[in-house]
Amino acid sequence: MTQRGRNLVLLAPAGAWFLVMLVVPLTVVLIFSFGERGAAGGYVPAFTLDQYANLPARWTAFKNTLILAPVGTLAALLIAYPLAYFLAVRADPKWKTLLLVLVIVPFWTSILIRSYAWIFILGGRGIPALLDWIGIGGVRLINTPFSVLVGIAYGYLPLMVFPIFVNLDRLDKRLLEASSDLGAPPWRTFLQVTLPMSLPGVATGCLLVFILLMGEFLIPALLGGGKVFFVGNALVDLFLQSRNWAFGSAVAATLVAIMLVTVTAYMRLIRRLGAQREDVSLM
Amino acid sequence: MTKNNDTISKRKFMEELYRYKRGSVTRRHFLGVTGLGTATAVLAGAMPALRPRRAFAQGDIGDRVVLATWPNYHDPANFDAFTEATGAHVQVNVFGSNEEMLAKLQAGGSGWDVFVPTNYTITTYVGEDLIEALDSSLMPNYDPAAYDPRFSDAGSVDGTLYAVPKNWGTTGYAVNTNHLDGREMTTWKDFWDITMDAYSGRTMVHDYQLTTIGNALKYFGYSFNSVDPNELAEAEKLLLDAKPHLFAISSDYQPPMLNGDAWLTMCWTGDGKQLNTDMPEIAYVLGKEGGEIWSDYYAVPKGAPHRDAAYALINFLLAPEVNAKEVLAHGYPSADANTNALLPEELLNDPILYPAQELLDALEFGAAATLTDPNRAELLARFKSA
Amino acid sequence: MDDGGYKPGASKSQAKIVAELRGVSKRFGEVLAADDLNLAIGEGEFLSFLGPSGCGKTTALRMLAGFETPTSGEVLLDGKVVNDLEPHRRPVNMVFQHYALFPHLTVERNIGYGLKQQRPKLPAAEIERKVREALEIVRLEGFENRRVWEMSGGQQQRVALARAIVNEPKLLLLDEPMAALDRKLRKEMQIELQNIQRRLGITFVLVTHDQEEALSMSDRICIMRDGRIVQTGTPRELYDRPRNRYVAGFVGTSNFFDGKATNVNGTRAEVTLPNGMRLAGQAVSEIVPGRDASLSVRPEQIRLERAASAKDGNLEVTVLNRIFLGEHTEYLVENQSLGEFMVLTPRQAELSDGPFNAGDVLYASWDADSALVLDRD
Repeated sequence: MTQRGRNLVLLAPAGAWFLVMLVVPLTVVLIFSFGERGAAGGYVPAFTLDQYANLPARWTAFKNTLILAPVGTLAALLIAYPLAYFLAVRADPKWKTLLLVLVIVPFWTSILIRSYAWIFILGGRGIPALLDWIGIGGVRLINTPFSVLVGIAYGYLPLMVFPIFVNLDRLDKRLLEASSDLGAPPWRTFLQVTLPMSLPGVATGCLLVFILLMGEFLIPALLGGGKVFFVGNALVDLFLQSRNWAFGSAVAATLVAIMLVTVTAYMRLIRRLGAQREDVSLM
Repeated sequence: MTKNNDTISKRKFMEELYRYKRGSVTRRHFLGVTGLGTATAVLAGAMPALRPRRAFAQGDIGDRVVLATWPNYHDPANFDAFTEATGAHVQVNVFGSNEEMLAKLQAGGSGWDVFVPTNYTITTYVGEDLIEALDSSLMPNYDPAAYDPRFSDAGSVDGTLYAVPKNWGTTGYAVNTNHLDGREMTTWKDFWDITMDAYSGRTMVHDYQLTTIGNALKYFGYSFNSVDPNELAEAEKLLLDAKPHLFAISSDYQPPMLNGDAWLTMCWTGDGKQLNTDMPEIAYVLGKEGGEIWSDYYAVPKGAPHRDAAYALINFLLAPEVNAKEVLAHGYPSADANTNALLPEELLNDPILYPAQELLDALEFGAAATLTDPNRAELLARFKSA
Repeated sequence: MDDGGYKPGASKSQAKIVAELRGVSKRFGEVLAADDLNLAIGEGEFLSFLGPSGCGKTTALRMLAGFETPTSGEVLLDGKVVNDLEPHRRPVNMVFQHYALFPHLTVERNIGYGLKQQRPKLPAAEIERKVREALEIVRLEGFENRRVWEMSGGQQQRVALARAIVNEPKLLLLDEPMAALDRKLRKEMQIELQNIQRRLGITFVLVTHDQEEALSMSDRICIMRDGRIVQTGTPRELYDRPRNRYVAGFVGTSNFFDGKATNVNGTRAEVTLPNGMRLAGQAVSEIVPGRDASLSVRPEQIRLERAASAKDGNLEVTVLNRIFLGEHTEYLVENQSLGEFMVLTPRQAELSDGPFNAGDVLYASWDADSALVLDRD
């Protein structure tokens, strides 16, 4: 067999995977997006740009998503970073593995059940009841943007914690000693060494969470009371309720396009910021 | 190991599942909202190991029958009895909305033997050629004469029987009377007015265009099924005005009603009964202007893999003594006089299950056109994203 | 034990003491890493801690830097007790073993890091000037904008050095700075370090396990073992007057003949071997009669001759092996009573009598004054 033949054989499984998992579904979505809705729902083959022309009908959903995704990513980052920092830098190495497992264990249960726990905690008989008891009455937490952010920060915690943890964990502790030796107090050491050195992990975590948040619908529906409408919710409704597969596909294709553009821009930016560094291991 | 091990563990599991769901998951749409219904169904179909198995068959109908139905809508003990009698296990897939069921059947390869469509969808299924004409000789327990025709008519299209009645019910609202301060709630106008006033921030509406738009239309006295653009425009304005005052747009209304976060919600019969049982201060109200009445049916999809078992299951569940147990378990009324004859007097007199005739008279069945109307779907999307 | 007091050499008389360890001990759990260390370091001095790994030398250094707090005793800088002073407040800088350069910063910003931490802030122009000077000192002009990970080991080492000296510390600590360099580079770097130290006059404290490195660079060496200082002195003092066999073995090479100390009489003593043979030598430190002792004879102080000379102490030996080293030849010889030992013969001496071949029977002798009677421990 020629070298070229061998290469093709070796690449075949990866190529097949790529084709089945990525190219085929995307192609189907793309084809559907140029079709029409059947009288009783579903898809009727056609070639029309009507679905794309109708996109402004979901403008609010896109707008909400483009706000939710970065804000939610930031919220997840703000919660995850201190946790990852504690686990990687401060925690006793003896307990590190156990603590890490404790962070993951809740995520073995379904997001649905975990969201119900938050519905209870943030609901009238949870924290507001406690606040009422100490004299702060009338606080509403559930079904607010706040509760959605809490749910997102919590739901995406491991995705954000892990890349940052790995980064901080393998950070050479001698660099921190060197910084201290050169006269930097601990907080400046954090800002000048720890934080910049952990940026690749932060970038990876943010990217993962951002991409998933672009399609998120469950947490806003459960913890936001369904009052805020995201592209994910629009897709669920279009495919499962009004069964407008053609329009749903156009919305999905647009979402994928927006994601590609944002993620590419983001990676360009990160690469430029990290161009000087050895440890830019984003992808 | 006895031959029943499988059965017992399965029954136990179902009981646990039902216990968990009771009070936290309502009859419909919740699974639709989460998309979990489809996921469960796909998963169960894709993984043969998850299917129940039996060491040997007791009948000749096969070892399995697949039922697509709603959450909290059966007595699990009846399924066990069916398995005991026939050797076929009942594999249950639960769904959140009629639309989801339709989408699944349209996509093909559902693997269902029996499903439970609501009245207004049946003509669509017939039109799309997704549903079998039923042979009533295979269902000796089906006694058409014993049924109130109101709740069985939709099962026949152009004189052909496609579906037999399961249960019926109404869509009204549940209100926590503790906060009413003597006010009386009798109409949909009351519902929307108090939402934008004393109950601001405490009201829930369904995440479902049929009922949410339909009940907004009732505010103006229009038909629950209206697709008239002007009438819909008025309903939309009402919905948009009310939105800032809503606690949530969700069909999962039992938990917030029970913990006091929500005081008022659109509600189906069975949930109304359950809420009232748990908290007597929660009343179930049917708007005087009208609203929805509905009836669910058993039907067999085209290409059902276990057709004999499908008939056997429907026939079994229609037996009055079995059906009575079902009603006692889920709290939705039956239209079958033979079944009702076996039910306790107090249940038959329960105004939640069996509302006064003048209230019932004002109600409308949902229409197929309403379900598939694209304008109503877009209206709901605008309402939710506002 | 050594009192560790700084005895100013001729060139550095009246030097001020910049750092001091007073009875300093450090315990890590069960392990006593440093045991009652006493040492004074004079201004401008180049002092080395020498010892095998685990002897406590790095712990001593880290206590000076502030990374470890003594369990007992006092660390002084400029006469002030600094036990609890954090590293970033100490006028001390360190060159780390693997340099610990910041990979996310350029060479310039690595070197300027310490200057940027100063409060009140230094003007940017001044930082730039000082960084440029430091780069000149370590001969890395033009490397300002390089990434540290693009540089060779030797260059990284210079950056690490520049990053430390640019702050003009009171004390520059070097933790095995040349361990990662190859032999040739290490030699060059040693010379360069010495030059820089002389030029800047900064006090250097070096930790090393390499005796050659310590001997060639240091003004004074502090020999450590099992957390304790065994002896502190100039290289010559340690070579000529080792406190015990351990020091003699660590500084240069020597032949040791083990026995018991006998006939101690002032600066003279004898070692009686197990076979009863008695060897005389100088007692340069306190020798207790009856204790385990060794007679130490440096290989270069032993003469080899074909014929026994008239003097006493001629030992008949057989040549076992010969290694030609250029200016010297190293012989491994064997005597019936003493066993095997090494002899280093200068080329000159061989002109008349040698070279000797394996199997030759010769006579070995040494001056009693050049042999030292040393305590075994």
